[in-house]
Amino acid sequence: MTPSPLVLDGLVVGAMLFALGLVGILARRNLIVMFLCAELMLQGISVSLVSWSRHHGDWGGQVLVIFVLTVAACEAAVALVFVLQAFARTGRLDAAAWQSLRESNLPRVVDHELPAVDTVPPKFPRLTPAGIEPAADEDAVLEREHV
Amino acid sequence: MQAIAPSTLLVLVPLLPLAASILTVALGRVLGSRAHVPAVAGIAGSLAVAVVLLLGVARDQAAGANGHDHAAQPVEMVTTLWQWAGVGDAAAAGDVGSAATSFSIPVALRLDPLTATLLVIITGVGLLVAIYSIGYMHHDPGYPRFFALVSAFVFSMTMLVAASNFLLVYVFWEAVGACSYLLIGFWYAKPEAAKAAKKAFLVNRVGDFGLAVATFLLWMTYGTLNFHDTLAADGSPVPGILGATRLADATGYVGGLVGTAICLLFLLAACGKSAQLPLHVWLPDAMEGPTPASSLIHAATMVTAGIYLVARTAPLFMACPGALTLVSIVGATTALMAALVGTVQNDLKRVLAYSTISQLGYMFASLGTGTLLGFTAAIFHLVTHAFFKALLFMGAGSVMHAMGGVIDMRRFGGLRRIMPITAATFLVGALALAGVAPFAGFFSKDEILAALHSRGWPNAHAEHHDAVPAGGHAAAASPFGVATLSSAAGSHVRPVAHGAAGVAPAGPLDALDSPGTWRLLFWMSLLTAGLTAFYTFRAVFMTFTGPTRVPDEAGHHAHESPPVMTIPLVILAIASAVSGWWLFSTHALAGFLASTPSFTAPAVAATATPPAFHWNLALQGTLAAAVGIVIAALGHLGRRSDGPQMERFLGPIGTLFANRFYFDQIYAALLVRPLEFVATLAALVDRYVIDGLVDAVARAPFGLGGIVRHLQSGLVQRYALAGVIGTLLIVLALVARATG
Amino acid sequence: MIASLMPAVSPGTFLSVAVAATAGSLWLLLPRGQAGVAERTSRWAGALLGIAALGCFIATGHRLGGLGEEAVFLVVSLVAVVSGAATVVSRSPVYAAIWFAMTLAGVAGVLLVLGAQFLGVATIVVYAGAILVMFLFVLMLAQPAGLAPYDRVSNEPLLSAVAGAVLLGILSLSIGRLSAEPPACCQVPSKAAALADAPSPAEPTAAGDVDLLAEHHVARLGAELFGRHLLSVEVAGVLLLVALVGSIAIVSRGGVSGGDPQAARRAIR
Repeated sequence: MTPSPLVLDGLVVGAMLFALGLVGILARRNLIVMFLCAELMLQGISVSLVSWSRHHGDWGGQVLVIFVLTVAACEAAVALVFVLQAFARTGRLDAAAWQSLRESNLPRVVDHELPAVDTVPPKFPRLTPAGIEPAADEDAVLEREHV
Repeated sequence: MQAIAPSTLLVLVPLLPLAASILTVALGRVLGSRAHVPAVAGIAGSLAVAVVLLLGVARDQAAGANGHDHAAQPVEMVTTLWQWAGVGDAAAAGDVGSAATSFSIPVALRLDPLTATLLVIITGVGLLVAIYSIGYMHHDPGYPRFFALVSAFVFSMTMLVAASNFLLVYVFWEAVGACSYLLIGFWYAKPEAAKAAKKAFLVNRVGDFGLAVATFLLWMTYGTLNFHDTLAADGSPVPGILGATRLADATGYVGGLVGTAICLLFLLAACGKSAQLPLHVWLPDAMEGPTPASSLIHAATMVTAGIYLVARTAPLFMACPGALTLVSIVGATTALMAALVGTVQNDLKRVLAYSTISQLGYMFASLGTGTLLGFTAAIFHLVTHAFFKALLFMGAGSVMHAMGGVIDMRRFGGLRRIMPITAATFLVGALALAGVAPFAGFFSKDEILAALHSRGWPNAHAEHHDAVPAGGHAAAASPFGVATLSSAAGSHVRPVAHGAAGVAPAGPLDALDSPGTWRLLFWMSLLTAGLTAFYTFRAVFMTFTGPTRVPDEAGHHAHESPPVMTIPLVILAIASAVSGWWLFSTHALAGFLASTPSFTAPAVAATATPPAFHWNLALQGTLAAAVGIVIAALGHLGRRSDGPQMERFLGPIGTLFANRFYFDQIYAALLVRPLEFVATLAALVDRYVIDGLVDAVARAPFGLGGIVRHLQSGLVQRYALAGVIGTLLIVLALVARATG
Repeated sequence: MIASLMPAVSPGTFLSVAVAATAGSLWLLLPRGQAGVAERTSRWAGALLGIAALGCFIATGHRLGGLGEEAVFLVVSLVAVVSGAATVVSRSPVYAAIWFAMTLAGVAGVLLVLGAQFLGVATIVVYAGAILVMFLFVLMLAQPAGLAPYDRVSNEPLLSAVAGAVLLGILSLSIGRLSAEPPACCQVPSKAAALADAPSPAEPTAAGDVDLLAEHHVARLGAELFGRHLLSVEVAGVLLLVALVGSIAIVSRGGVSGGDPQAARRAIR
């Protein structure tokens, strides 16, 4: 019997999320963002699995999603540790920093010159201080200006 | 078929030198300075067997002659060793017009008087040259190789004259050419020698082409290539081209266009091998080889292969009188031209080389007369020429050895005081070459002039024609006495041409066969005789008379040669002195050769004449020689050899002679340059087109790899992208297939 | 209502247009090393094109029959998809993480509508509560000053966008085919057939649109999990332990300089 429209929509949504995650992994160079997109793919998979589970009336899909959740957590933990190690080695989170496995006579791929960014940092909203403004102290040094 | 001797003897003659050659090749390095032993032993054994065979043939001839009329009986013995090639009976095909017999090439050897004579000459001179080489090549690093080549050459030459099949003749024709190439280029590191060897081989190739095409035409015309009669697969007799059946048949030989073509092709082959016009250019350059090789190959034996071929195929030539005349024309012209060039040469070996060409021209002129006298005279001259020319070459080698490799006559002189034996033997050889009585060349040259004269003035010989049948037999059997024939105008034996011309259909060249042509050839030959004497004695006087001068390269060599070199000289000198008189006076050679199957053909035998000594011609010949010697003496006897030279004396004609009538330059412009151009083109095509294609095929993977290499950039995301794209393509394909 | 606005073209064409529009919008939205006006322009263009693409998908779905009777579902799915797109294309990683949180909210909503209540909540709790926070911590530790150049460029934006869009198109096509004919393989035994005959206890909508797992949802999920899949649960536990131990081990061993990023950076440069 044909799946119901809800199931079909769920499948489509899952496919969209998966495709978006795939594009992100292939395109973005920041390692953290790459992993975020991997998680996005997993979300898409979860939606698809739940849709099928609803269609079949079977718990299998949802159980599998639980395991996907578990594995995603483990994977995120270990992967982020690796990301930190990579950052410790090269000082940047660039996936394109690691090119030593290329063919021996190919040059290193280097970004072409990018146009200068707006030097003015974006203004972030700040909470207005209530009452008396406290005196500036050295903690302010630790405060990061931008993210 | 008469059992002369066990057929094994005939096989031994070429087999012993072959075994010697193989042994020398295998053990040369081990034998070292004794590498001559197998070769000398092999050739000596071969000579012994050849002499035994000769005596056997002579005995059989004598036995066969008794009880027959004056016409000589053919004497032959054929030994078939094995069947080399054979094609099944082609008669079943039924589509071949003439004589569709099965194609079979047996390795067969035939012994007859001509073969026996030549075998003795080849092995005899070969043995003397081998002994001489022991001394001459003593210090040469290629000592074993030389003897291996000499033995191989003797094997090839003996097989050539003994083979009883035209294809075998072709094989050994090539083989002697190859041995000649290897011997001319013996010192291959010397560029001139390599070039000379190449030139000899290439010019011979032109002749070989003629021989090959002639073989094809023979097969098409006569249906077999064997000399002797054989049996076809179904038992029917196949008459050999020179077999008894066909020889007895008056219409056995084809004339006309095909016959003339075959004969002219044979002539071309003979010109190539025997260095006649226009293929004579290789022989002077062949003097780059070692002198013993020149002596053996380019004087005595290999160059006579052409003479042998024409003599052997005499019946075929007799069917085409025009071709015969052309043979004579070629021969006489070559003789005159070579003699003219020889007068201005300063290199002793070159003089002898041109002299060889000239004498070979004499032999061809004699062969072309188409009479039994002409054929036997040519062979007679071949025999005597082998003796004195080998002698002269070895003498030149002796001089060269003593002068430290210098052979330019202008650089030395008066050598008779330091090399008496060489000088004496050289003088004997020169006298023989010039045709001074009673040395060998006198008699043979006289016979040749007689043959030419008989064709030019046939009427003068008429009265003896009727006397032939009656006196022939007695004359053949009895020792010859000087025939005092009356007539003041010159009594000559008349060779009869009545039988020959009427048998064959007219060929395209028959117009050449007129008495006027023969008279012109006779005068040319007489002039050549004078020139021969002149240049020979010019060389003798320049080398051995005058003040004694020795070039610097001689060093301590300037003394007489060791006995191992002088003894062969002496032996050959004795032969040159005595053989002419002996062979002529006993009529041994001519009568012996008359039993050769080729010469017993009716066309040839009909021209038989009783032997006679032609006083008139002898006088003319001697006069010409004397004039030549006197002029040479006037110019060079007792003078320094670097005095005024002939070229300057003759002026522009001298320059023409010195440049050898510009044959080399003409050939270079006509043939060599276009071929070099084509070769350059071919080389360019080979390097850029063909190699370019292959290189392109080789570079294609490199190019492809260079493109594909960029996939492996080290960037992980690109790898992932490639994977995703690949997966998508597969999925698309599956979806498309599912859609249908 | 929506049907009257639709031009008369085949679903296949719509799908192709949707795929092309998706590819285009993604390409425009991805960071390509532009600055200033060019970047803002491409972002606006990309956003508009993306909306058009979504519209095409919706239209295709409607053409294929039975779409979006659930308005709630439409809203939460839009939230999820748009937030997902924003996650992918944000220049700043922190913004990407926050958009991801939004996506999680949308996905939780989708899951809830689909009847997986436990999973919906678990998504929020585990993902947004734990994993995302971990991401933010790492971002805090490993963030260079300023907007890094590698955040402003993408690796092969066109090819990636096209690949993703084509994949989406294929999947949509296959899903659309599912609605066309009944899949021969998917014969679920017992439950579906039995319940199809029996009157459905849930809301009687179109045939097969009944959530058979709604009643006593969590309890039954737990029973299923610890009943049929007990071994897998234990293994998952072990996996968690391994990941825990492993990550600590890697960190404690440290990198080249024992975990000091400044020294490492000086060494590399």
